[in-house]
Amino acid sequence: MNKPTRIIATAFVLIVGAVPGRLRSQERFSSGWTFPVVSYRLKNGLRVVLSEDRTLPVVSVVVAYAAGSIREQRGQTGLAYFLENLMFQGSENVSPLQHLSFVQKVGGELNANTTLDKTLFYETVPSSQLPLALWLESDRMRSLLLAPGALEKVRGELLDTHRRRLATESYLGSYDFFNDLLYPDFAYGHPIIGNGEDLKNLSPEAVRDFYERYYVPANSVLAVVGNFDVARARELVSRYFDTIPPGTAAPTPPLPRFEQDREVVRTFRDALLPTPGFHLGYRLLPLQTGDRYALGILDYLLLRGQSSRFYTRIMKRDLTAYYLAGGLEERLGVEAFKVSALNNNEVMADRCQKAILSEFDRLKVSLVSETELDKAKRLYRMDYLRRLSTTLDRALFLTDAAFADVALPELAAEFERHMKVSPQSIYSLAVRLFVPSNLVVVNIRNR
Amino acid sequence: MRKSFPAVPLVLACGLTAALTLAAPAPASGQERFRRTPPLPDPFRELKLPAIETATLSNGLTVAATRRPGFPVVTVQLVILAGEADSPADLPFVATLTARMIGRRTRESSAEETAAMIDAVGGDFSVSVSMDYTVLTFHVPAEFMDRALELLRLMILQPEFSDLEAATAKRILSYELRDLEKSPEFAGRRQLLRLLFGGHPYGSAAVSWDVIRRITPRDIETFYGLFFRPNNAVLLVSGDAVPSASDQRLTLPFAPWTRRDVVRAPLVPPPANAAQKICLVDHPAAEDFVIFAGNLAPAPTSADYYPFLVLNQVLGGTMGSRLFMNLRESKGYAYEAFSEAEFFKSCGVFWAKARVTPQTIGASVEEIEREFRNLAAERIVPDELEVAKSFLIGNLPLKVKSLEGYAARLSQAVALGLTESDWGKASDSLMLVNADRVLETARRYLTPVPLVVIVGDRRRALPALGAFEAVDIYDSTGAFLMTLRKGEVK
Repeated sequence: MNKPTRIIATAFVLIVGAVPGRLRSQERFSSGWTFPVVSYRLKNGLRVVLSEDRTLPVVSVVVAYAAGSIREQRGQTGLAYFLENLMFQGSENVSPLQHLSFVQKVGGELNANTTLDKTLFYETVPSSQLPLALWLESDRMRSLLLAPGALEKVRGELLDTHRRRLATESYLGSYDFFNDLLYPDFAYGHPIIGNGEDLKNLSPEAVRDFYERYYVPANSVLAVVGNFDVARARELVSRYFDTIPPGTAAPTPPLPRFEQDREVVRTFRDALLPTPGFHLGYRLLPLQTGDRYALGILDYLLLRGQSSRFYTRIMKRDLTAYYLAGGLEERLGVEAFKVSALNNNEVMADRCQKAILSEFDRLKVSLVSETELDKAKRLYRMDYLRRLSTTLDRALFLTDAAFADVALPELAAEFERHMKVSPQSIYSLAVRLFVPSNLVVVNIRNR
Repeated sequence: MRKSFPAVPLVLACGLTAALTLAAPAPASGQERFRRTPPLPDPFRELKLPAIETATLSNGLTVAATRRPGFPVVTVQLVILAGEADSPADLPFVATLTARMIGRRTRESSAEETAAMIDAVGGDFSVSVSMDYTVLTFHVPAEFMDRALELLRLMILQPEFSDLEAATAKRILSYELRDLEKSPEFAGRRQLLRLLFGGHPYGSAAVSWDVIRRITPRDIETFYGLFFRPNNAVLLVSGDAVPSASDQRLTLPFAPWTRRDVVRAPLVPPPANAAQKICLVDHPAAEDFVIFAGNLAPAPTSADYYPFLVLNQVLGGTMGSRLFMNLRESKGYAYEAFSEAEFFKSCGVFWAKARVTPQTIGASVEEIEREFRNLAAERIVPDELEVAKSFLIGNLPLKVKSLEGYAARLSQAVALGLTESDWGKASDSLMLVNADRVLETARRYLTPVPLVVIVGDRRRALPALGAFEAVDIYDSTGAFLMTLRKGEVK
């Protein structure tokens, strides 16, 4: 099953932002931890965030482009993911797959990731190799080779991946069907991997246009976290990125409209599926001030930890499901609360679904106790700390913050707002948002 | 959508791709000179791991503390010096089930209440069981260290192994096993260990549902009584500003734990596989075929350990290593080809692994064995040696960058009796490896004929199996079905 992903930095993405041209140090996070942050912008618009950490001799470099699947047009699904893969196929001074071998030769690790709004590339290398990481990233930012052979190679690989996923992830079809219903707007709802037909038909021109439009400094963030001297890092960043032509920043897409006057319930049938189950989700619109913090904590209360309400009820008490996943999901300003379950038979699936819906209803009839709320907040805090625990985690966190364009100290306030969520605020949002007109259910049946 | 490295699909036309790339027009002209070649590194910064400070209580419990500065999360671990190899021969996986039941019901709390107490400190609790040891791990915000220790005390000193909890633990394990068994990699590793170790205690990792279902709460309680003793355990605490190992905050909770003699004879590794043996595990759902070709490796305390790490790196550590360059880039037989190793207390095990099409099974096995023979016959060239050492030394700090990575390395060092040269000075040990030592090690561990396990759809494999004199066929659970001899394949 393709698990629903939870975008954990939700609040920061929306509210926090960069501080162009200003230096900051020792921003204090109310989570009880401090780390230094320096942020500035190059003349070509590239936002740079540097954070020193002398604990280990490693450094993480993240280059993120505001070039996620939301930028794709109909008929071009999978284009952002295609570019992510193409970025490993060589640039002017780095031959195909050499990027990978350069990093591996020094003992480093690398990866890339495409989301709805961004495509991210990242390396963690021994700190002495910071020049190498920046050289590699700058070369593919400025001079990716869009050779026909490389395009066809990536196309073949992705079609193969697509075929494998369909063959091995039994519930992928039902999950895509569910997302289409929950996010009816094309830009927000279509799968990041795209569909096979679109991948087959992607033209070299479309790929080149996407790269030239979005893979530019003005549309990007560079975050470096680890064991380095700031002066040296600034010198290296300047050397490798200053002269890359700026391009233009892509505007933020408009928020979609969502109109549904009653719950939507559909059945997805596939005789080859091992067991039945369901996907269930509330699309959370419209949000009021403070709802995002309450939702952030509610996520932990309902589904995180071994003693969360859903886990205790379904997996420990009722024993009606053998798989339960979900949580709060944010897609560039659009939030949804999702739950997916797999059950041994249809009777169990129905019971499980009723239990989940009754747990949502319970939020509307009685206040959550302070004790339970405190427990959820502590789990939230631990996850918050975990999101900062490695140099790479912190670089990704700071990348999100920089894209959101608000001063970094606001992060501390964001954390505090989560800690101040009250039982009343949970009750208030439950009454307004967990209503049939926001509900989408897909029942999965295997006969 | 996240990429998965180093797995990359087969492209038989790599040479063609490179040619087309070269033929493409240059995207930029007049570039600065510094862009043309990779830059020189900045000065090397050495990995310095904090010292491990220890104290021993009167009941035999060793307490160890290390300072990991800079982050307000504390890791509390209890290492029990008994693992899967200590499960009774007829009941493999008792060690795992015992560990899974610790942390659930206690004499003072139901399983739900225990879970709520863990969540209440905002921590996470996990158990892991390897061949030689078991680790219970808490990660908690620093201010909850005392409560984590108290919870650990409750779990360890007052566990309750009820029928209901045992049934729940077995049910969860069965779901996990069902998921794992879908993976050809899991099936291949399991079969390799089964056949390499046979009746040896290290063969007990070859778990299957039919043995798990027979385990009773009494078996679990017996295992707990035998091995969960303070004189057979180490308490590890790591984090920013943790107390010293002899501090009462660490020692008092476990002072009432009762000592009892623990009998654990050192394990003698079995002989290496030395005869040609090809096996096929039938995995009808598998798209491709995965070949495992492996044998025994040195123990982590052996003088051969660091040379072996270099050897393994040269053989198949990355996409630049021999297996990948030969099987994928040169011959185009494999989607991917690497080598891996696992190390237990008394020996290790390694294997080359290649994902291939049915048509290339025979040729791939031949090439893997050729690579083994080449490494055992000729000294590696200086460039290969340096690249391998550079990777291994550069990768050392990356292994401990996460809370989990640090905790795993720390518990491994303690449980396997590693020394300072392994914990804080591994880079020095790697630096000392030379081509002669790699050759000696290769002769010792790569000369014996490897055991070959192929996982995939038996029907699609049949034509390719004719390349071998004899192939033992096993079903997807690893049960022996038949031997197929050359000439019998149709």
